[in-house]
Amino acid sequence: MQRYPGHVPLNTFQRLFLFASSGIAAYISPRRADLVATFGEMTSQPFFARRLKKQMLSDPVGRELLREKPRITSKTLNLDYLRSLPSNTLGNEYVQWLDKENVSPDTRLPVRFIDDPDEAYVIQRYRECHDFYHAIAGLPVVMEGEVAVKMFEFANLGIPMTGLAAISEPFKLPKSMQKRLFDIYLPWAVYNGFKAKCLLNVYWEKELERDANELRKELGISLPPDMRAMRATRAMRPKRVVRNVIRPDSDPIYEKSN
Amino acid sequence: MLRFRRLVHTAIKKDILVVGGGPAGLSLVTALKNSALTRHLDVAVVDGQPIVERLGNWAANNKTTEFENRVISVTPGSVSFLEKIGAWENVVHERTLAYDEMMIWDGESGARIEFDAFDSATGTVATMIENSNVQQALLNTGNTRDTVIQAQVEKIHTVNGLPTVKLNNGIEIEARLLVGADGQNSPVRQFAGITTEGWDYSRHGVVATMHLEFDDFKQTAYQRMLKTGPLAFLPLPNATATLVWSTYPERAQWLKQLEPQAFTAMVNAGVRLDMADLDYLHSLDPKNTDEIIYEVTWRLNTLDEDDTLPTRVESIVPKSVASFPLKLRQADEYISERVALVGDAAHATHPLTGQGLNMGQRDVAALVAALELAVSRGLDIGSLDALEPYPRRAYLQNQLLLGVNDSLYKLYSTDCEPIVRLRTLGVQVLNKLGFVKNKLVEMAD
Repeated sequence: MQRYPGHVPLNTFQRLFLFASSGIAAYISPRRADLVATFGEMTSQPFFARRLKKQMLSDPVGRELLREKPRITSKTLNLDYLRSLPSNTLGNEYVQWLDKENVSPDTRLPVRFIDDPDEAYVIQRYRECHDFYHAIAGLPVVMEGEVAVKMFEFANLGIPMTGLAAISEPFKLPKSMQKRLFDIYLPWAVYNGFKAKCLLNVYWEKELERDANELRKELGISLPPDMRAMRATRAMRPKRVVRNVIRPDSDPIYEKSN
Repeated sequence: MLRFRRLVHTAIKKDILVVGGGPAGLSLVTALKNSALTRHLDVAVVDGQPIVERLGNWAANNKTTEFENRVISVTPGSVSFLEKIGAWENVVHERTLAYDEMMIWDGESGARIEFDAFDSATGTVATMIENSNVQQALLNTGNTRDTVIQAQVEKIHTVNGLPTVKLNNGIEIEARLLVGADGQNSPVRQFAGITTEGWDYSRHGVVATMHLEFDDFKQTAYQRMLKTGPLAFLPLPNATATLVWSTYPERAQWLKQLEPQAFTAMVNAGVRLDMADLDYLHSLDPKNTDEIIYEVTWRLNTLDEDDTLPTRVESIVPKSVASFPLKLRQADEYISERVALVGDAAHATHPLTGQGLNMGQRDVAALVAALELAVSRGLDIGSLDALEPYPRRAYLQNQLLLGVNDSLYKLYSTDCEPIVRLRTLGVQVLNKLGFVKNKLVEMAD
């Protein structure tokens, strides 16, 4: 029985099949957003989505979100207005980040396989807020930055797919990036993810006009070193031939919009 | 010599003096008066409350009044005992409800176990009845009423080797056998120097009488096992139900501060909503009725209607909300020389299986059987020899029940995921095994 628009109810066999096939396929091609999204849904049921829903239900802001079920798209977020905000505000930082990374908020797939409507919204919300986590941490959408954000999300939200991505992907990267991740970004992600308050309970749309650093302080997040700058410095050095590397400057998980 | 003692000591002499006129004490007197072997014994009941005044005409005065909040569950075994001693026919039957189904579900996983007494030997699971209804039925059976003395016990001491009770109206009564049916803080037990074992659950049971949206055609008792303690929703006639919600003491206090409409909303929330919702609701200001109702209404509307759950509560009877602390207690001995303990004086249990009153009835049945045997053999009814069969029959059985109740309570008082999974699996298997469930219903009887 369909419990919300777009819901695809599955039986146990379908569920197992989709779990296994999307898992294998997403590991082989992590750039296929649909596979990653499906695997994320398959692994967050029955336990993890429910736990997140409980976390949201125990928080006034989380309850407000569940009640209003706001969506984040380029229509609900007035990007031009955000560009007009002072540069220290969250909204402006977010739109700066969007422009710098050349991505758009409209690329999120709808949740289909989560049965409970509230839990489906929780996962949907997590997906749509993913860019805000990037922006608040100032991390780029290259695979390296993506891994750091995924680990940060795993420590903060405990969604299994984020953890699986964060531990499986670094080994596909070149040694220099691995070193940077293990020395700087993964420790930052684990420490800040655990320390910060649950990021699902942030009504990002209502925080856009606030000072970003103030918000970070309130949430308990500190900024990591600038990954783009570090990569640029490193790129200036003479290069060795590197084989079998995923092109670093593309979003591995989500397609670019334009 | 005898004359001399009478001159200095003017106590009234009784064969058996029962302290406490609750269901256990009154059942004991009624049962003794009903038995051919013990009928001749001179028996009296002492109670500090004016029970005869309050309950003597209860049946005539309470045809249509609201249900009291002290409602108890009487198993078929206790009903047949009350029938045997002639009291059941004096019960106001319109104010009782025999239920034949019981549904218990896990507050975390929702896993259910359903008991259907239809195909067990007894036909009903139990009967819901007001405490006062049982008491008045017992008072109006035989000449039980005439044995009641209304007075406070001032002092219990031993005179000439017999327990003697000094009352606040100046009367002293000396008895060959003193029976403590005087509740959890039993003065008789303290007099006899009997210690108890057990612990407090640091939970309070919140009770209330509730009006439902409509009368359910099924007679089902419901219990939701929340991490804070079970919420029992027990049927009464005429679209009414009684609540026993055991929860943390501070939450019980919070619930008692609510306006009736907010309390109604909270009961509906307690039956249907997630523990996370309940935690949040309890963090609100108890005086903020609108917000509580708003939050509950919103959450309830997100749920699919489930008619296997209890009917929603429409309102509660004002002033019917009360609470009491939950404990586990077992007296180390039920008897000592010339003293016997029955009912709550001997043991206290968590109410989750509704066994409190029934354990007391079984105590009484066992004690009466022991006294009948003693009389037929010509033993002194206060001697240990005469009383010995009573604990032999009742003690271990009560101990078992206390243990089962305690384990059930502990199994469900956690939301630790692996334990929730295990108990869910266990319940799902058990729910399929009809013959085991029938056995359980019969065992609880």
